[in-house]
Amino acid sequence: MIRGLWTRETVALMLLAAYLPLAVFWLGHGGGAAALRLALAVLVIAGWNLVFMLARAQPPSAAALVTALAVAMLAPEGLSVVQMVLGISFGTVMGELVFGGWGRNVVNPATVTLSFLGFGFPGAPWPDFVDPVAWAAIPAALIGLASGTLPGALLVSAALAGGGLAWAGLLDPDVLPAAGIVLVLLVADPVTSAATTLGRWLNGALYAGLMALFATGWAGAAPVQMAVAAALLAALAAPLLDETALTIWFARRRRRHGRL
Amino acid sequence: MISLAVRAGLSPGFSPTPPDDSAIEEVVTAEAGLRPPAHVTLRVTPLVEEDACVPRGAPVACLRDAPDICLVAPMPARVARITLQPGRKLTEIVLFHDEGGGVQRHDVSGSSRPAGLRALMQRAGLWPWLRRRPFGGMPAVDEVPAAILVMAVDTRPAAPDPLVAIAGREESFERGLRALKRLTEGPVLVCHAAGREDAIPAMGVRVQPVPVGPRHPQGAAGIRLHEAWPAGLDAPVWDLHAEDVAALGRLLETGTLPMNRLVSVAGPALRAPRLVRTQPGASLRGLSFHDLHPGAHVLLSGDPLGGHPAEWLAPRDRQVSALSRPEAAAPPHWLIRALTRSARPRPVIPTAALDQAFGAQIPAAAFVRALSAGDDEMAMKLGALSLLEEDVALADYVLGGEADLQGMLRVMLDRIRTEFAA
Repeated sequence: MIRGLWTRETVALMLLAAYLPLAVFWLGHGGGAAALRLALAVLVIAGWNLVFMLARAQPPSAAALVTALAVAMLAPEGLSVVQMVLGISFGTVMGELVFGGWGRNVVNPATVTLSFLGFGFPGAPWPDFVDPVAWAAIPAALIGLASGTLPGALLVSAALAGGGLAWAGLLDPDVLPAAGIVLVLLVADPVTSAATTLGRWLNGALYAGLMALFATGWAGAAPVQMAVAAALLAALAAPLLDETALTIWFARRRRRHGRL
Repeated sequence: MISLAVRAGLSPGFSPTPPDDSAIEEVVTAEAGLRPPAHVTLRVTPLVEEDACVPRGAPVACLRDAPDICLVAPMPARVARITLQPGRKLTEIVLFHDEGGGVQRHDVSGSSRPAGLRALMQRAGLWPWLRRRPFGGMPAVDEVPAAILVMAVDTRPAAPDPLVAIAGREESFERGLRALKRLTEGPVLVCHAAGREDAIPAMGVRVQPVPVGPRHPQGAAGIRLHEAWPAGLDAPVWDLHAEDVAALGRLLETGTLPMNRLVSVAGPALRAPRLVRTQPGASLRGLSFHDLHPGAHVLLSGDPLGGHPAEWLAPRDRQVSALSRPEAAAPPHWLIRALTRSARPRPVIPTAALDQAFGAQIPAAAFVRALSAGDDEMAMKLGALSLLEEDVALADYVLGGEADLQGMLRVMLDRIRTEFAA
């Protein structure tokens, strides 16, 4: 009869709060151009949310702002407005809204948008981040961890695996800032990352492993491009990782209790 | 790792709650009512007429399908009203307190054998205090449990401490535990607060203590069962409150079933929370009306997370939660309603709060998804058969009541029961 507060919209607002440090530093260093990109992304995503609310009675979510921030920060530079609108529309509609809105999607709409833009317009240069913006990913992750909205196991395992690989010389330190920002913004999305504890550990490690693979084997790719590709593959593998984690959990229970 | 598991869970804010050292009042309310628990149908045969005087512990009705199982008067009383629906489904039996009624004595001579003990528990009115899993409700007459869970800990917000409830009755508790051992071939698991091992008598290998952490839902029977001894379709598990075990011990000792239980009366609608010893079926108004703040309120039988609005204290409940009745919000504008109706129930976002709401024992997101998709098979593999509504009440609370996990779990359990009965 008494009610707690972790509804879908609370989680969305807490995520927004977690990403504030990133947004502030990025806007501070990017200036008017960055603000314009963000405004464009917000406008297009809000438009599609409105369409789906009118057509399919799907209530919009504040998480749309998170998607807009991720797209504005990570999308290739030098694209025309039409190209951006095309990419964002594809990502938002096919990545999230057709599944029933935020919370029912299987891949992060921002990841879909960025992959679409990357595949569709391969000539456009990917953004580069100044160090303060990359460092701002750490307070973002900490706020997400403290409020419980970002999966802790995933962040910790990605950080450990990434640190280990970098220490062993398998992960180029130059890609770490972009990898960190993408980890916080896209990979650690609570909806589309793995949802079991073991699955989250595997998910984080898989992301770090893919980053190492791309950093050594993908010549000529920008760090953000590699990170987005790794995020897409890690998100697609998340259900498989969850399934693996559950199979192991079932097997352990069966061994312990003789039945499920 | 062990200490992490013990510390898992949440402490939902709920106040005021009775202080640990508050004085315990003995209260017998002037009215009491017997009513089946929410969502349960009981078909009964009344054994007394309206206006008859009955002693405490005397049967007033028995189940139509199992005449051995009796519902008994929780106090010496005059029967005020017996209301049945068509098909002899019990609505309620209302009793007025009447000092002259006396106490019913039961013959305990056959109770050394399991069959005799069972018959005594059914005749004396202790059977409805038992609950079986899977599916909930009282056990069938001849059911043999694979294990029995005794809850000597309660982590629900504002719940009275069972160890306080049985303080001074340790001998009866031990006698009750010994009797429970006769009812099952399996273990008797006694859940107790971590660090209070001293309160649980050492009684050999079949009585196993299970230490439990301080936060809810660590002390929820379903979560403990899921961890220690999962219930299955052919392995039913019973659970029983420690105070009721002490009552069973007392019944075997004296032939009379004690009917007073420790109940906490708490909640924001009260001026002062308190602990009372009162009878099952007590009138909630009778327990709380002196202390209520003026204004609209709602009285729940049970804890504030999973309790039900009621008039009488339900047979197994030990809490009365008095909440202020929220003012009815204006209905949303028809256009807003039309534009947002498709997403009900709202999707559940996996967060740390959700994991903790299942005590970090069950893969929460997978379980919630199986529940909302109606995937019975997956939910059973994840342990749905050990759980009842009250075990997921905390998750419902955490999710702001948007997900209705309790309702979905009940529907799923009913569906599984129908499928496997066929």
